[in-house]
Amino acid sequence: MHFNLTEGVDLSIIKTSQFKTNQIIVNFATTQTEKYITARSLLADVMETSTQKYPTQTALARREAELYGMYLGTNASRIGNLHNIKIRASFLNDQYSQSGLLNQVIETLGELIFRPLVNDGKFDEATFNTQKTNLASSITSLNDDKQYYASMELRKLFFDNDSAMQIPSFGRVSDLEGLTAAKLVDVYQEMITHDKINIVLLGDVDEQQALADFSQLKFSPREIKDTTVLYRQALHEVFEKEEKQELKQSKLNLAYRLPVYFQDTKYYAAIVMNGILGGTPLSKLFVNVREKESLAYYANSNFNAFNGVLTIQTGIESQNKGKAIKLIKQQVAAVELGDFSDELLQEVKDGLVHHFLSGLDSSSNGAERALMNDMFDNEKTIDEVVGAINAVDADAVVEVAKLLKLQAVYFLNGESI
Amino acid sequence: MEKHQYSRFNETIYSQKMDNGLLVQVLPKKDFHKAYAILTVDFGSIDRTFVPKGQTDMITIPDGIAHFLEHKMFEKEDHDAFDLFGKLGADSNAFTSFTQTSYLFSGSDHIHENLDVLLDFVQDPYFSAKTVEKEKGIIGQEISMYDDDPNWRLYFGILGNIYPQDPMHIDIAGTKETIAKISADDLYTTYNTFYQPNNMNLFIVGNVEPEATIQWVEANQQAKQFDEPTDVEVSFELNAPDGSDVIPFRTLEMDVSRPKVMVGIRGLKEIEPGREGLKYRIAVELLLDTLFDDTSDKYLELYDNGTIDDSFSYNFEMQRGFHFAYFSADTDDTERFSDEIVDILEHANDYLVQGQDRFENLKRSILGRMIGMMDSPEAISNRYAGKLFGNTNLLDEVEILESVTFDDVLSVIPEFIQPAGISVFHIIPRNN
Repeated sequence: MHFNLTEGVDLSIIKTSQFKTNQIIVNFATTQTEKYITARSLLADVMETSTQKYPTQTALARREAELYGMYLGTNASRIGNLHNIKIRASFLNDQYSQSGLLNQVIETLGELIFRPLVNDGKFDEATFNTQKTNLASSITSLNDDKQYYASMELRKLFFDNDSAMQIPSFGRVSDLEGLTAAKLVDVYQEMITHDKINIVLLGDVDEQQALADFSQLKFSPREIKDTTVLYRQALHEVFEKEEKQELKQSKLNLAYRLPVYFQDTKYYAAIVMNGILGGTPLSKLFVNVREKESLAYYANSNFNAFNGVLTIQTGIESQNKGKAIKLIKQQVAAVELGDFSDELLQEVKDGLVHHFLSGLDSSSNGAERALMNDMFDNEKTIDEVVGAINAVDADAVVEVAKLLKLQAVYFLNGESI
Repeated sequence: MEKHQYSRFNETIYSQKMDNGLLVQVLPKKDFHKAYAILTVDFGSIDRTFVPKGQTDMITIPDGIAHFLEHKMFEKEDHDAFDLFGKLGADSNAFTSFTQTSYLFSGSDHIHENLDVLLDFVQDPYFSAKTVEKEKGIIGQEISMYDDDPNWRLYFGILGNIYPQDPMHIDIAGTKETIAKISADDLYTTYNTFYQPNNMNLFIVGNVEPEATIQWVEANQQAKQFDEPTDVEVSFELNAPDGSDVIPFRTLEMDVSRPKVMVGIRGLKEIEPGREGLKYRIAVELLLDTLFDDTSDKYLELYDNGTIDDSFSYNFEMQRGFHFAYFSADTDDTERFSDEIVDILEHANDYLVQGQDRFENLKRSILGRMIGMMDSPEAISNRYAGKLFGNTNLLDEVEILESVTFDDVLSVIPEFIQPAGISVFHIIPRNN
């Protein structure tokens, strides 16, 4: 059921007795700007550390333990051009814990949202400094995960230089330097006053009671401007980059522009096409690059329907780079030419249907799905989604495959230096 | 068929042992869309010395066979089992640990056929010299990939310290040198010894009808011929049960941005398998939570003075024949981290008593997490550890958790924390 708590603040309650745990997501969304991505990421970290009532992370952690080990956390993420601060709570149904747990959880969420540890116009300095240092360290440490590192380098090549897409949703170390405990309060004020807010509650709850509990959270009304959520960019030349590091396994990643978006009529054709190309273990990349040629330990593709990009990633031996690129391009060309069996098409569709249905068996996944539907005003029934996947035919797959345009090739060369 | 009701959680587990010894358990979840089934063999990477079925003398096989076998089980003479699941719209996977090998699928349709595929591919081996050679390339890549992963190196670094002469310090996949020695014959010998139905169990959770599901399995098994079951004879003796071989400290240089550190502690007391073993595990977990989790004052002190950050984590692992705990973090001051952790371990009694007021809430917190896991077919069935914990499941575990007292936790301290079992491993950036 949908409720409007105040202008710009929507609540959806999905009542289900399928699970023993309930989920809440409170999502704050705004159009991303280069200036605020890192600041908002830090804000998310600072907010989950302490509040006026729970002034240390230990105090907050003790509260969470008391509430049957509820999970409470915040993170920064991106959907197309939107930057989101997401607060998530996961906790037991009253039936398996105690009566009134939902109310106590919402109260604790309210502390986190409305009563951060701010004094004299500044976040608590000690908390601020620790979280700033920790965010810098964790961003730096990400470079140690080479698959991740390669994907970040690829994104820098793919996205336009002046686009905020250059910056990961959790921010950049260089942007942290100028931030102060006072400036972060401005970022918080901006978020709490102007962001579009979507709240989702999924679980075995009494809807009227839950609505009353949420109504205790006093959000101010806000005007929501129309924003372009989906990110589009013009074609550019193919950018290539190669880098050497001392590694046993090399990484070869490719990015294609694929201007098909969530809610487009071609959306389901695009996810089926991705499934045939590299999104499943039955796919062309998996079977031909990994299995038949033993060329790679992993070879797969990903489609992002908010940014219009399809990426391919592989882990290979350095000397096989040329052979791997050739094989990958052959697989893309084969899909464009319709060179795949009806059987494979059917298997990919069955697999996608299974993934969709099995996603309904996870309460956190269910809450995320409801959030997306609310943000895009895109409510589809289970049958509609299954029907849309099944309706994709070979022609539709070929048609979207023809939209693929290679834009970037990144190679992390692990050859001994 | 046996039926065990857990009315407090609205769950029922149905179980039956097949004539050939295969234990089948079903936990139906009627609101769910999918079913998840996992077939586990009581055989893992450390089981390298054993008496082959039908013989009398112990042999030792190359490291990495359990994992190699797991990869090769999918491939048959004229097809791949992976594709059969794919045709049925199901996902399939497999994994190998130190002591177990598991094969699984998850599907939302054709569950009967998928179950047949699962049982048939695991019970019908096909290995040839050619396919074995090809697999060496794929697994070699997998090993290389893990070699580049600092967290994996850290984990096996500490295992190399606490079990320097035991098979736990060797990568589950083996090494490029050991897998080079594996032959199709080795795979058959190993398979015939360990993959006997009486050494396996099948756990199914999800949208299934329990009686029919058990009948499907029964029909599948009755249609096959199995040799007379034999008891598996594995030799697993720790090189030095008193921990005298523990290496206290080692450092590795690697291309990392920040130093990494892991403190390990090897449990030196032999723990009998069964329910008591599970109780021991829960008591140790409660001990570690009281000493190290983010509700403790010490945690806050270490966090605030920069000794730890959000990368700090700890874990306790208990498998057949051994158990250990580890504490890790990315930190600029590896020495300070290891000193602090070792200090807490050495004064565990004092810290535990200081934390007694948090004990009931920490139990409640673990209870909440256990009930939360009941929402996940994967968590319920993957957590089942068979004989190791006396065939108990997640639902039984709640009862055991509730029976653990503060005194139980106090009494595991001298059993688990012994100075001889403590060790430290550092990874430092190469250019330092």
